Amino acid sequence: MKKSLLTAFIFFIGALFSSESKTTWFGDPNLQGTWSNQSLTSLERPDEIEGLIISDQDAARYAYYYQQFLEAADGEFEVGEEIQAADDPGGYNTEWMDPGTQLLKIENNYRSSVITYPEDGKLPRKLWRWAINGPLTIYKMFVRADHPEERSLGERCIVGFGSSGGPPMLNVLYNNNYQIVQSPGYVVILVEMNHDARIIKINGKHNPESMKPWLGDSIGYWEGETLVVKTKNMHPQQQFRAGIRHQIFISENALIEERFTRTSQDEILYQFIVNDEKFYNDAWKGEMLFRKTDGKIYEYACHEGNYAMENILAGARALENQ
Amino acid sequence: MKKIRILMLLTVISLLTSLSISSHHAFTAEFDAKAPVNLTGKIVKVEWINPHAWVHVEVIDKNKKTIWMVEGGTPNTLIRNGLTKQTLKPGTVIVVRGYQSKGKLCTPRCRANGRDVTFPDGSKVFMGSSGTGAPRDGADPREPKR
Repeated sequence: MKKSLLTAFIFFIGALFSSESKTTWFGDPNLQGTWSNQSLTSLERPDEIEGLIISDQDAARYAYYYQQFLEAADGEFEVGEEIQAADDPGGYNTEWMDPGTQLLKIENNYRSSVITYPEDGKLPRKLWRWAINGPLTIYKMFVRADHPEERSLGERCIVGFGSSGGPPMLNVLYNNNYQIVQSPGYVVILVEMNHDARIIKINGKHNPESMKPWLGDSIGYWEGETLVVKTKNMHPQQQFRAGIRHQIFISENALIEERFTRTSQDEILYQFIVNDEKFYNDAWKGEMLFRKTDGKIYEYACHEGNYAMENILAGARALENQ
Repeated sequence: MKKIRILMLLTVISLLTSLSISSHHAFTAEFDAKAPVNLTGKIVKVEWINPHAWVHVEVIDKNKKTIWMVEGGTPNTLIRNGLTKQTLKPGTVIVVRGYQSKGKLCTPRCRANGRDVTFPDGSKVFMGSSGTGAPRDGADPREPKR
Protein backbone atom coordinates (compact mmCIF):
# COMPACT_ATOMS: atom_id res chain seq x y z
CA MET A 1 0.00 0.00 0.00
CA LYS A 2 2.79 2.36 0.95
CA LYS A 3 4.57 1.54 -2.28
CA SER A 4 1.47 2.27 -4.35
CA LEU A 5 0.97 5.59 -2.65
CA LEU A 6 4.60 6.51 -3.21
CA THR A 7 4.36 5.56 -6.91
CA ALA A 8 1.18 7.59 -7.32
CA PHE A 9 2.83 10.56 -5.63
CA ILE A 10 5.85 10.34 -7.92
CA PHE A 11 3.65 10.22 -11.01
CA PHE A 12 1.64 13.18 -9.71
CA ILE A 13 4.76 15.23 -9.18
CA GLY A 14 6.04 14.12 -12.58
CA ALA A 15 2.88 15.36 -14.22
CA LEU A 16 3.33 18.74 -12.59
CA PHE A 17 6.71 19.04 -14.27
CA SER A 18 5.72 18.26 -17.82
CA SER A 19 7.83 18.80 -20.94
CA GLU A 20 7.02 22.51 -20.73
CA SER A 21 9.00 22.94 -17.50
CA LYS A 22 12.64 23.99 -17.54
CA THR A 23 13.61 21.20 -15.21
CA THR A 24 12.35 17.71 -14.58
CA TRP A 25 10.82 16.76 -11.26
CA PHE A 26 14.21 15.36 -10.23
CA GLY A 27 16.01 18.57 -11.09
CA ASP A 28 17.75 17.84 -14.41
CA PRO A 29 17.36 20.24 -17.35
CA ASN A 30 14.26 19.18 -19.24
CA LEU A 31 14.72 17.91 -22.78
CA GLN A 32 11.54 15.89 -22.81
CA GLY A 33 9.10 16.05 -25.66
CA THR A 34 8.73 15.17 -29.31
CA TRP A 35 11.25 16.71 -31.66
CA SER A 36 12.16 16.76 -35.32
CA ASN A 37 15.44 17.46 -37.13
CA GLN A 38 13.72 17.67 -40.52
CA SER A 39 15.56 20.04 -42.84
CA LEU A 40 16.54 20.60 -46.45
CA THR A 41 20.13 21.06 -45.32
CA SER A 42 22.24 17.95 -45.76
CA LEU A 43 25.29 16.77 -43.88
CA GLU A 44 27.84 18.02 -46.41
CA ARG A 45 28.04 21.36 -48.17
CA PRO A 46 27.57 21.48 -51.93
CA ASP A 47 30.93 21.96 -53.71
CA GLU A 48 30.27 25.40 -55.08
CA ILE A 49 28.88 27.00 -51.96
CA GLU A 50 31.30 29.09 -49.99
CA GLY A 51 30.74 29.39 -46.33
CA LEU A 52 28.49 27.82 -43.76
CA ILE A 53 25.94 30.62 -43.72
CA ILE A 54 23.80 31.69 -46.66
CA SER A 55 21.55 34.72 -46.88
CA ASP A 56 17.85 34.66 -46.02
CA GLN A 57 17.08 35.55 -49.62
CA ASP A 58 19.12 32.68 -51.03
CA ALA A 59 17.64 30.30 -48.48
CA ALA A 60 14.10 31.30 -49.45
CA ARG A 61 14.92 30.89 -53.13
CA TYR A 62 16.43 27.54 -52.48
CA ALA A 63 13.35 26.33 -50.63
CA TYR A 64 11.15 27.66 -53.42
CA TYR A 65 13.13 26.01 -56.19
CA TYR A 66 13.26 22.81 -54.22
CA GLN A 67 9.49 22.75 -54.04
CA GLN A 68 9.25 23.57 -57.73
CA PHE A 69 11.53 20.72 -58.53
CA LEU A 70 9.53 18.30 -56.43
CA GLU A 71 6.41 19.24 -58.31
CA ALA A 72 8.17 18.90 -61.65
CA ALA A 73 9.63 15.54 -60.64
CA ASP A 74 6.17 14.26 -59.87
CA GLY A 75 5.17 15.15 -63.41
CA GLU A 76 1.83 16.23 -64.79
CA PHE A 77 -0.29 13.67 -66.54
CA GLU A 78 -3.69 13.66 -68.13
CA VAL A 79 -6.56 11.55 -66.86
CA GLY A 80 -6.18 8.12 -68.45
CA GLU A 81 -2.61 8.67 -69.54
CA GLU A 82 -0.67 5.47 -69.03
CA ILE A 83 2.72 5.27 -67.42
CA GLN A 84 5.50 3.93 -69.61
CA ALA A 85 8.56 1.75 -69.13
CA ALA A 86 11.57 3.76 -68.06
CA ASP A 87 15.23 3.31 -67.33
CA ASP A 88 14.77 4.70 -63.87
CA PRO A 89 11.28 5.94 -63.10
CA GLY A 90 12.33 7.22 -59.73
CA GLY A 91 10.24 4.89 -57.67
CA TYR A 92 7.62 7.06 -56.03
CA ASN A 93 6.36 10.53 -56.43
CA THR A 94 7.26 12.98 -53.73
CA GLU A 95 3.94 12.82 -51.96
CA TRP A 96 5.22 9.74 -50.23
CA MET A 97 8.03 11.74 -48.64
CA ASP A 98 8.49 14.42 -46.04
CA PRO A 99 11.93 15.99 -46.37
CA GLY A 100 11.00 19.42 -45.02
CA THR A 101 10.45 22.77 -46.65
CA GLN A 102 13.34 24.90 -45.51
CA LEU A 103 17.02 24.93 -44.73
CA LEU A 104 18.50 24.47 -41.30
CA LYS A 105 18.43 27.77 -39.40
CA ILE A 106 20.50 28.31 -36.29
CA GLU A 107 20.61 31.64 -34.45
CA ASN A 108 18.78 33.30 -37.35
CA ASN A 109 21.31 32.12 -39.91
CA TYR A 110 20.56 29.60 -42.62
CA ARG A 111 23.13 26.86 -42.93
CA SER A 112 24.49 25.31 -46.11
CA SER A 113 25.63 22.14 -44.31
CA VAL A 114 25.28 20.34 -41.02
CA ILE A 115 29.06 20.01 -40.85
CA THR A 116 30.67 23.01 -39.17
CA TYR A 117 34.21 21.60 -39.14
CA PRO A 118 36.22 21.10 -41.33
CA GLU A 119 35.45 24.57 -42.51
CA ASP A 120 34.75 23.46 -46.07
CA GLY A 121 31.73 21.55 -44.81
CA LYS A 122 33.02 18.25 -46.16
CA LEU A 123 33.79 14.96 -44.47
CA PRO A 124 37.57 14.63 -44.04
CA ARG A 125 37.49 11.23 -45.66
CA LYS A 126 40.45 8.91 -45.61
CA LEU A 127 40.01 8.32 -49.30
CA TRP A 128 42.02 5.13 -49.68
CA ARG A 129 40.00 3.54 -46.90
CA TRP A 130 36.72 4.60 -48.47
CA ALA A 131 37.92 3.34 -51.85
CA ILE A 132 38.52 -0.10 -50.39
CA ASN A 133 35.49 -0.35 -48.15
CA GLY A 134 32.94 1.56 -50.20
CA PRO A 135 32.44 -0.58 -53.31
CA LEU A 136 32.65 -3.83 -51.39
CA THR A 137 30.13 -2.70 -48.81
CA ILE A 138 27.72 -1.39 -51.41
CA TYR A 139 27.97 -4.62 -53.39
CA LYS A 140 27.31 -6.75 -50.33
CA MET A 141 24.49 -4.66 -48.91
CA PHE A 142 22.73 -3.24 -51.93
CA VAL A 143 23.56 -5.38 -54.98
CA ARG A 144 23.90 -8.97 -53.90
CA ALA A 145 20.61 -10.45 -52.76
CA ASP A 146 21.45 -13.99 -51.75
CA HIS A 147 20.43 -13.88 -48.13
CA PRO A 148 18.24 -11.51 -46.11
CA GLU A 149 20.88 -11.00 -43.45
CA GLU A 150 23.36 -9.67 -45.98
CA ARG A 151 21.15 -6.80 -47.07
CA SER A 152 21.35 -3.31 -45.62
CA LEU A 153 20.20 -2.71 -42.06
CA GLY A 154 17.39 -0.43 -43.21
CA GLU A 155 15.96 -3.05 -45.54
CA ARG A 156 16.22 -5.58 -42.73
CA CYS A 157 14.32 -3.28 -40.36
CA ILE A 158 17.21 -3.36 -37.90
CA VAL A 159 17.99 0.38 -37.72
CA GLY A 160 16.84 3.27 -39.88
CA PHE A 161 18.54 4.03 -43.15
CA GLY A 162 21.31 6.59 -43.03
CA SER A 163 22.33 7.68 -39.56
CA SER A 164 18.87 8.63 -38.34
CA GLY A 165 19.39 6.77 -35.06
CA GLY A 166 22.97 7.91 -34.85
CA PRO A 167 25.12 8.80 -33.31
CA PRO A 168 25.33 11.31 -34.84
CA MET A 169 21.58 11.56 -35.42
CA LEU A 170 21.13 12.96 -38.92
CA ASN A 171 18.08 13.94 -40.96
CA VAL A 172 16.76 11.58 -43.61
CA LEU A 173 13.94 11.73 -46.15
CA TYR A 174 11.02 11.12 -43.80
CA ASN A 175 10.08 10.22 -40.23
CA ASN A 176 12.67 12.60 -38.77
CA ASN A 177 11.05 12.40 -35.37
CA TYR A 178 12.43 11.73 -31.93
CA GLN A 179 10.96 11.52 -28.46
CA ILE A 180 13.09 12.24 -25.42
CA VAL A 181 12.09 10.81 -22.06
CA GLN A 182 14.05 11.35 -18.85
CA SER A 183 14.10 9.54 -15.54
CA PRO A 184 16.60 9.72 -12.67
CA GLY A 185 19.84 8.34 -14.07
CA TYR A 186 18.68 7.90 -17.66
CA VAL A 187 17.83 9.79 -20.82
CA VAL A 188 16.06 7.77 -23.50
CA ILE A 189 15.82 8.94 -27.10
CA LEU A 190 13.20 7.08 -29.08
CA VAL A 191 14.02 7.32 -32.77
CA GLU A 192 10.98 6.92 -34.98
CA MET A 193 13.11 5.88 -37.99
CA ASN A 194 13.16 3.15 -37.14
CA HIS A 195 11.87 2.09 -33.73
CA ASP A 196 15.24 2.36 -31.98
CA ALA A 197 15.66 3.64 -28.44
CA ARG A 198 18.96 5.08 -27.32
CA ILE A 199 19.34 4.53 -23.60
CA ILE A 200 21.88 6.96 -22.16
CA LYS A 201 23.14 6.29 -18.66
CA ILE A 202 23.70 9.54 -16.79
CA ASN A 203 26.95 9.51 -14.83
CA GLY A 204 27.21 5.85 -15.70
CA LYS A 205 30.03 3.71 -17.02
CA HIS A 206 30.45 2.15 -20.43
CA ASN A 207 29.70 -1.53 -20.79
CA PRO A 208 32.58 -3.93 -21.48
CA GLU A 209 34.18 -3.41 -24.90
CA SER A 210 32.85 -6.76 -26.07
CA MET A 211 29.30 -5.40 -25.93
CA LYS A 212 28.58 -3.49 -29.12
CA PRO A 213 24.88 -2.64 -29.31
CA TRP A 214 23.03 -1.06 -32.21
CA LEU A 215 23.50 2.74 -31.96
CA GLY A 216 26.54 2.21 -29.74
CA ASP A 217 27.02 2.36 -25.99
CA SER A 218 26.17 5.83 -24.65
CA ILE A 219 26.82 7.46 -21.31
CA GLY A 220 26.13 11.07 -20.41
CA TYR A 221 26.48 13.82 -17.90
CA TRP A 222 25.17 17.34 -17.42
CA GLU A 223 27.48 20.27 -18.03
CA GLY A 224 25.32 23.12 -16.80
CA GLU A 225 22.24 23.11 -19.02
CA THR A 226 23.88 20.90 -21.63
CA LEU A 227 23.59 17.13 -21.81
CA VAL A 228 26.91 15.71 -22.96
CA VAL A 229 26.73 12.19 -24.39
CA LYS A 230 29.74 10.05 -25.19
CA THR A 231 29.32 6.96 -27.30
CA LYS A 232 31.67 4.15 -28.24
CA ASN A 233 31.57 0.44 -29.04
CA MET A 234 29.57 0.80 -32.24
CA HIS A 235 28.04 -2.29 -33.74
CA PRO A 236 30.36 -3.46 -36.54
CA GLN A 237 27.44 -4.06 -38.91
CA GLN A 238 26.41 -0.44 -38.51
CA GLN A 239 29.66 0.73 -40.04
CA PHE A 240 28.19 1.94 -43.33
CA ARG A 241 25.19 4.24 -43.00
CA ALA A 242 23.65 5.13 -46.32
CA GLY A 243 20.74 7.46 -46.75
CA ILE A 244 19.77 9.98 -49.35
CA ARG A 245 21.17 12.95 -47.55
CA HIS A 246 24.39 11.36 -46.41
CA GLN A 247 26.57 8.29 -46.70
CA ILE A 248 29.03 7.85 -43.86
CA PHE A 249 31.28 5.24 -42.34
CA ILE A 250 31.47 4.98 -38.55
CA SER A 251 33.86 2.30 -37.37
CA GLU A 252 33.32 0.24 -34.24
CA ASN A 253 36.23 2.10 -32.60
CA ALA A 254 34.81 5.57 -33.24
CA LEU A 255 34.25 7.94 -30.34
CA ILE A 256 31.35 10.33 -30.70
CA GLU A 257 30.45 13.21 -28.44
CA GLU A 258 27.03 14.84 -28.66
CA ARG A 259 25.78 17.92 -26.86
CA PHE A 260 22.09 18.70 -26.34
CA THR A 261 21.24 22.21 -25.16
CA ARG A 262 17.67 23.43 -24.89
CA THR A 263 18.03 26.94 -26.25
CA SER A 264 14.33 27.76 -26.11
CA GLN A 265 10.98 26.19 -25.41
CA ASP A 266 10.81 24.94 -28.98
CA GLU A 267 14.43 24.17 -29.81
CA ILE A 268 17.30 21.94 -28.80
CA LEU A 269 20.70 22.79 -30.24
CA TYR A 270 22.34 19.50 -31.18
CA GLN A 271 26.11 19.49 -31.66
CA PHE A 272 28.39 16.56 -32.27
CA ILE A 273 32.03 15.61 -32.82
CA VAL A 274 33.00 12.40 -34.56
CA ASN A 275 36.47 10.98 -33.88
CA ASP A 276 37.12 8.02 -36.12
CA GLU A 277 40.70 7.56 -37.26
CA LYS A 278 39.86 4.55 -39.35
CA PHE A 279 37.76 6.46 -41.89
CA TYR A 280 38.67 10.11 -41.41
CA ASN A 281 41.84 12.20 -41.45
CA ASP A 282 40.48 14.52 -38.81
CA ALA A 283 37.65 14.83 -36.33
CA TRP A 284 34.51 16.37 -37.83
CA LYS A 285 31.86 18.47 -36.15
CA GLY A 286 28.27 19.31 -36.88
CA GLU A 287 25.28 21.25 -35.63
CA MET A 288 21.57 20.79 -36.11
CA LEU A 289 18.37 21.85 -34.44
CA PHE A 290 15.77 19.63 -32.95
CA ARG A 291 12.54 21.57 -33.15
CA LYS A 292 9.50 20.79 -31.11
CA THR A 293 6.71 19.21 -33.07
CA ASP A 294 3.02 18.99 -32.29
CA GLY A 295 2.88 15.62 -33.93
CA LYS A 296 3.17 12.28 -32.27
CA ILE A 297 5.78 9.60 -32.54
CA TYR A 298 4.27 6.63 -34.30
CA GLU A 299 5.26 3.06 -33.91
CA TYR A 300 7.51 1.81 -36.66
CA ALA A 301 6.92 -1.92 -36.39
CA CYS A 302 8.86 -2.81 -39.49
CA HIS A 303 9.52 -6.54 -39.49
CA GLU A 304 6.00 -7.86 -39.61
CA GLY A 305 5.06 -6.09 -42.81
CA ASN A 306 8.40 -6.11 -44.54
CA TYR A 307 7.20 -7.54 -47.85
CA ALA A 308 10.02 -5.59 -49.47
CA MET A 309 12.65 -8.10 -48.36
CA GLU A 310 10.67 -10.94 -49.88
CA ASN A 311 10.27 -8.97 -53.11
CA ILE A 312 13.99 -8.14 -53.27
CA LEU A 313 15.04 -11.75 -52.89
CA ALA A 314 12.32 -13.00 -55.26
CA GLY A 315 13.36 -10.36 -57.77
CA ALA A 316 16.97 -11.51 -57.66
CA ARG A 317 15.92 -15.12 -58.22
CA ALA A 318 13.70 -14.08 -61.12
CA LEU A 319 16.65 -12.28 -62.74
CA GLU A 320 18.84 -15.35 -62.29
CA ASN A 321 16.29 -17.45 -64.13
CA GLN A 322 16.13 -15.18 -67.13
CA MET B 1 22.32 33.82 -58.34
CA LYS B 2 25.07 31.45 -59.37
CA LYS B 3 24.87 29.89 -55.95
CA ILE B 4 21.18 29.27 -56.38
CA ARG B 5 21.61 27.65 -59.78
CA ILE B 6 24.23 25.35 -58.37
CA LEU B 7 22.09 24.55 -55.40
CA MET B 8 19.25 23.70 -57.74
CA LEU B 9 21.46 21.44 -59.78
CA LEU B 10 22.70 19.67 -56.72
CA THR B 11 19.19 19.37 -55.44
CA VAL B 12 18.15 17.77 -58.68
CA ILE B 13 20.98 15.29 -58.50
CA SER B 14 20.26 14.60 -54.89
CA LEU B 15 16.58 14.15 -55.53
CA LEU B 16 17.06 11.90 -58.52
CA THR B 17 19.13 9.73 -56.29
CA SER B 18 16.58 9.97 -53.57
CA LEU B 19 13.73 9.00 -55.81
CA SER B 20 15.59 5.86 -56.75
CA ILE B 21 16.37 4.84 -53.20
CA SER B 22 13.69 6.83 -51.57
CA SER B 23 12.32 4.35 -49.15
CA HIS B 24 13.80 1.90 -46.74
CA HIS B 25 14.80 -0.17 -49.75
CA ALA B 26 16.07 0.59 -53.24
CA PHE B 27 13.35 0.76 -55.88
CA THR B 28 15.47 -1.05 -58.43
CA ALA B 29 16.09 -3.95 -56.06
CA GLU B 30 12.40 -4.68 -55.81
CA PHE B 31 10.59 -3.38 -58.88
CA ASP B 32 11.01 -3.67 -62.63
CA ALA B 33 11.20 -0.30 -64.37
CA LYS B 34 10.52 -2.09 -67.69
CA ALA B 35 7.21 -3.43 -66.43
CA PRO B 36 4.85 -0.47 -66.05
CA VAL B 37 1.37 -1.17 -64.75
CA ASN B 38 -1.70 0.98 -65.11
CA LEU B 39 -4.37 -0.26 -62.78
CA THR B 40 -7.90 0.92 -62.17
CA GLY B 41 -9.97 -0.83 -59.58
CA LYS B 42 -11.65 -0.69 -56.24
CA ILE B 43 -9.80 -0.95 -53.00
CA VAL B 44 -10.50 -4.21 -51.21
CA LYS B 45 -8.08 -3.80 -48.33
CA VAL B 46 -5.45 -1.44 -46.98
CA GLU B 47 -2.61 -2.71 -44.84
CA TRP B 48 -1.48 0.18 -42.64
CA ILE B 49 1.86 -1.37 -41.89
CA ASN B 50 5.46 -0.29 -41.80
CA PRO B 51 7.81 -0.01 -43.52
CA HIS B 52 5.26 0.56 -46.32
CA ALA B 53 1.51 0.69 -46.53
CA TRP B 54 0.01 -1.75 -49.04
CA VAL B 55 -3.22 -1.05 -50.88
CA HIS B 56 -4.99 -4.10 -52.30
CA VAL B 57 -6.86 -3.28 -55.49
CA GLU B 58 -9.27 -5.50 -57.35
CA VAL B 59 -8.69 -5.10 -61.08
CA ILE B 60 -11.08 -6.60 -63.59
CA ASP B 61 -9.68 -7.10 -67.07
CA LYS B 62 -11.61 -9.07 -69.70
CA ASN B 63 -13.82 -10.54 -66.99
CA LYS B 64 -10.77 -11.80 -65.13
CA LYS B 65 -10.44 -10.57 -61.58
CA THR B 66 -6.93 -9.98 -60.20
CA ILE B 67 -5.98 -8.56 -56.84
CA TRP B 68 -2.92 -6.33 -56.96
CA MET B 69 -0.97 -5.30 -53.90
CA VAL B 70 0.32 -1.77 -54.37
CA GLU B 71 3.18 -0.51 -52.24
CA GLY B 72 2.94 3.01 -50.87
CA GLY B 73 4.85 5.14 -48.42
CA THR B 74 5.42 4.76 -44.74
CA PRO B 75 2.11 5.05 -42.86
CA ASN B 76 3.67 7.48 -40.41
CA THR B 77 4.25 10.05 -43.13
CA LEU B 78 0.91 9.35 -44.78
CA ILE B 79 -0.93 9.97 -41.52
CA ARG B 80 0.97 13.23 -41.02
CA ASN B 81 0.03 14.19 -44.55
CA GLY B 82 -3.61 13.87 -43.65
CA LEU B 83 -4.29 10.45 -45.08
CA THR B 84 -6.56 8.33 -42.91
CA LYS B 85 -8.57 5.16 -43.14
CA GLN B 86 -11.45 7.39 -44.20
CA THR B 87 -9.50 8.54 -47.27
CA LEU B 88 -8.82 5.06 -48.55
CA LYS B 89 -11.95 3.12 -47.77
CA PRO B 90 -12.58 -0.31 -49.25
CA GLY B 91 -14.81 0.12 -52.27
CA THR B 92 -13.18 3.37 -53.37
CA VAL B 93 -12.03 3.26 -56.98
CA ILE B 94 -8.47 4.43 -57.58
CA VAL B 95 -6.05 4.62 -60.48
CA VAL B 96 -2.53 3.39 -59.84
CA ARG B 97 0.38 4.06 -62.16
CA GLY B 98 3.46 2.16 -61.16
CA TYR B 99 5.80 -0.72 -61.84
CA GLN B 100 5.45 -4.42 -61.17
CA SER B 101 7.77 -6.28 -58.84
CA LYS B 102 10.68 -8.09 -60.44
CA GLY B 103 9.26 -11.39 -59.25
CA LYS B 104 6.16 -11.82 -61.43
CA LEU B 105 4.72 -15.06 -60.16
CA CYS B 106 1.80 -13.15 -58.66
CA THR B 107 1.87 -15.51 -55.73
CA PRO B 108 -0.12 -15.08 -53.64
CA ARG B 109 -0.91 -11.76 -55.29
CA CYS B 110 0.58 -9.53 -57.95
CA ARG B 111 2.65 -6.71 -56.52
CA ALA B 112 3.57 -3.27 -57.78
CA ASN B 113 4.74 0.04 -56.46
CA GLY B 114 2.38 2.98 -56.64
CA ARG B 115 4.35 5.79 -58.17
CA ASP B 116 1.24 7.90 -58.25
CA VAL B 117 -2.25 7.18 -57.10
CA THR B 118 -5.27 9.22 -58.19
CA PHE B 119 -9.01 9.03 -58.25
CA PRO B 120 -10.54 8.31 -61.69
CA ASP B 121 -11.12 12.05 -62.32
CA GLY B 122 -7.40 12.68 -61.91
CA SER B 123 -7.54 14.31 -58.50
CA LYS B 124 -4.82 13.30 -56.14
CA VAL B 125 -5.41 10.77 -53.44
CA PHE B 126 -2.49 12.03 -51.43
CA MET B 127 -1.99 15.56 -50.27
CA GLY B 128 1.35 17.36 -50.45
CA SER B 129 3.79 17.58 -47.63
CA SER B 130 2.64 20.91 -46.18
CA GLY B 131 0.85 20.82 -42.89
CA THR B 132 2.52 17.68 -41.68
CA GLY B 133 2.89 18.91 -38.14
CA ALA B 134 6.62 19.15 -38.65
CA PRO B 135 8.36 22.10 -37.08
CA ARG B 136 8.63 25.26 -39.11
CA ASP B 137 10.23 28.60 -38.52
CA GLY B 138 7.90 30.89 -40.41
CA ALA B 139 10.31 31.57 -43.26
CA ASP B 140 8.17 29.78 -45.80
CA PRO B 141 5.22 32.03 -46.72
CA ARG B 142 3.22 28.99 -47.77
CA GLU B 143 3.29 27.57 -44.29
CA PRO B 144 0.00 27.39 -42.46
CA LYS B 145 -0.09 29.72 -39.47
CA ARG B 146 0.09 27.92 -36.15
